[in-house]
Amino acid sequence: MKFRLALSLATASLWYRRKVLALVCLTLTLSVTLLLGVQYLRTEVKQSFTSTISDTDLIIGARSGQLNLLLYTVFHMGDATNNIRWSTFQALEKDARIDWLIPISLGDSYKGFRVVATDKAFKEYFRYGQGQPLELAGGQWFDGIFDVVLGAGVARTLNHHLNDDVILSHGGGRTSFSNHKDTPFRITGILEATGTPVDQAVYISLQGMEAIHVGWESGVAISGRTLTPERAQARDLTPSAITAVFAGLDRKILTFRVQRDINQYAGEPLSAILPGVALSELWRLMSQFERALLGITGFVVVTSLIGLIAVLLTLQAQRAHEIAILRATGASPGLIASLYVIECLGLAVVACLTALVLSSLAISILGPWLLTNYGIQIQLRPLNLEEWALLASVPLAALLVAFVPALSAWQKSRSQGFGSPEEL
Amino acid sequence: MNSQLLSSADGSIDKPAALETSNLTFCWDRLQPTLRFPDLNLPRGEHLFLYGPSGTGKSTLLSLLAGMLSPASGVVKLLGTEFHTSGAGKRDRFRADHIGVIFQQFNLVPYLTAEANVTLPCKLSSRRQSATGESPTVAAQRLLSALAIPQSHWQRKVTQLSIGQQQRIAAARALIGAPEIILADEPTSALDSDNRDRFINLLLGLAGERNTSVVFVSHDRSLARCFHHQIELGQVSA
Repeated sequence: MKFRLALSLATASLWYRRKVLALVCLTLTLSVTLLLGVQYLRTEVKQSFTSTISDTDLIIGARSGQLNLLLYTVFHMGDATNNIRWSTFQALEKDARIDWLIPISLGDSYKGFRVVATDKAFKEYFRYGQGQPLELAGGQWFDGIFDVVLGAGVARTLNHHLNDDVILSHGGGRTSFSNHKDTPFRITGILEATGTPVDQAVYISLQGMEAIHVGWESGVAISGRTLTPERAQARDLTPSAITAVFAGLDRKILTFRVQRDINQYAGEPLSAILPGVALSELWRLMSQFERALLGITGFVVVTSLIGLIAVLLTLQAQRAHEIAILRATGASPGLIASLYVIECLGLAVVACLTALVLSSLAISILGPWLLTNYGIQIQLRPLNLEEWALLASVPLAALLVAFVPALSAWQKSRSQGFGSPEEL
Repeated sequence: MNSQLLSSADGSIDKPAALETSNLTFCWDRLQPTLRFPDLNLPRGEHLFLYGPSGTGKSTLLSLLAGMLSPASGVVKLLGTEFHTSGAGKRDRFRADHIGVIFQQFNLVPYLTAEANVTLPCKLSSRRQSATGESPTVAAQRLLSALAIPQSHWQRKVTQLSIGQQQRIAAARALIGAPEIILADEPTSALDSDNRDRFINLLLGLAGERNTSVVFVSHDRSLARCFHHQIELGQVSA
């Protein structure tokens, strides 16, 4: 009975002071929304990060560290330390344990986007997410030497369409002064958005890569020695070297043995890495940052809770009369203190529920926009256990800090005399 | 002690005492003088007028009688129980069960309706709830009608009502569930004389019906005629 009384008194009191409390409640709501949002993004980004590449068992490149190899092959960041010989690729092709190979050759760019030279195997075997294959939004995968396929992000950013002509640049960088202008490429296909670095690259054939570099052996074009498209058709354009190879094995159990064999390859120094392992190592580096972000958000929530307590303590002076009445009518100091605990908890619960509604609204509204503009895939999903725990920690923390005004009210009302304090 | 008990005409000795005190003293802190109070003995159903100028410890005495303060020395006996030796929790429960209170002003919880303010003691004490006989709401409405609060005001926020109405609602709250004792601390000081007389008549009349003793504190001596007993609180002795 006393609990029901306390509950009804606290509810009536919250409603009575709704104008002041709405503001602190709003502060708390926004900070909890931020907390939920950051936590949600954290798991979503991790999910999308670890699903950048899938089904590839080994990435093989010139001898280097695994992060470096992962960064330049998968994320198109940084540069290769060295190339691997075409004969090495051919030797790998003969290995019976290897099911498929995707050769890639890097080095050029198109308006700041990496050019990836590869072959049909890329379209056929490359997987991302939970084993999703690449799909073309329009056109077809390249067939001719001067065909190019654009990632979804490139096509959207540069507003390119099928059959447009593009001039690739030599080397990286957004503005390059050495362009392969003798050998324009034609867009034959545009990929569907994947939310991975695949969207941010353009794809040509290995032969195309070879063709545009004839006459560029010194690093710049020597006029008269470069190929025209017509002359290129007649030439043998088998590359002498490539940058890296993605490999898929027949039997996954052999992964470590194949990795060891490649690392000990006698022909030239090679490194083979397991993309999953390298990705999680990379994520560990980044997780410092995201944990710091979560920590900061946590502090924002704590700050708003302190604000809430400050307001409740300020309101305490206003409530002297009503406390005097309750005490004189026979309410115990414990009941008075419980009013503060219930009010604080009630505000926190209201803030959490509002934050839940707010963040689900934000995600459902911003989700499609984020995917089309940034290639980040965020969908509304039920909260996981960790997120529920994080959300529940807010009312729990509120309960804890509620003891500050509650104890002070308890102490004051214990020595409360008859009538309001100033009348004594 | 220059206070004196003016005995009423009827033979009040036979009735059980609502409240008794003896040798009651209280001290706020060491720097302030000790307050000494006259001995009280009020039979059930009779009313006591406590008169005294400011600073004579009227409110302090009420706090001691209500069990919200503990005396430095002396005895407080309410309804035959030695009240001052009980623990604070027990005194709170006793107050909820047996004592109604009316303050000078700010008598009502601002966020409750008139009716909810009146039924508040029934929610704090099951004894007072069962003493209403009917539902507390019905009892509250009966009291509010008796105290001339128009029905249209019952569900209103109490801050919208006049001071006179607020004081009468407070009286209804003190009366509900027929507590044995009502402690009233200058409840009429904010009222004009018409409202004051009406308030006292209604309060004492309704208290009489319920055999409730009223201890009424005021600095307005002219009110003393309405009460069975009166006591003047005297100077403070060190």
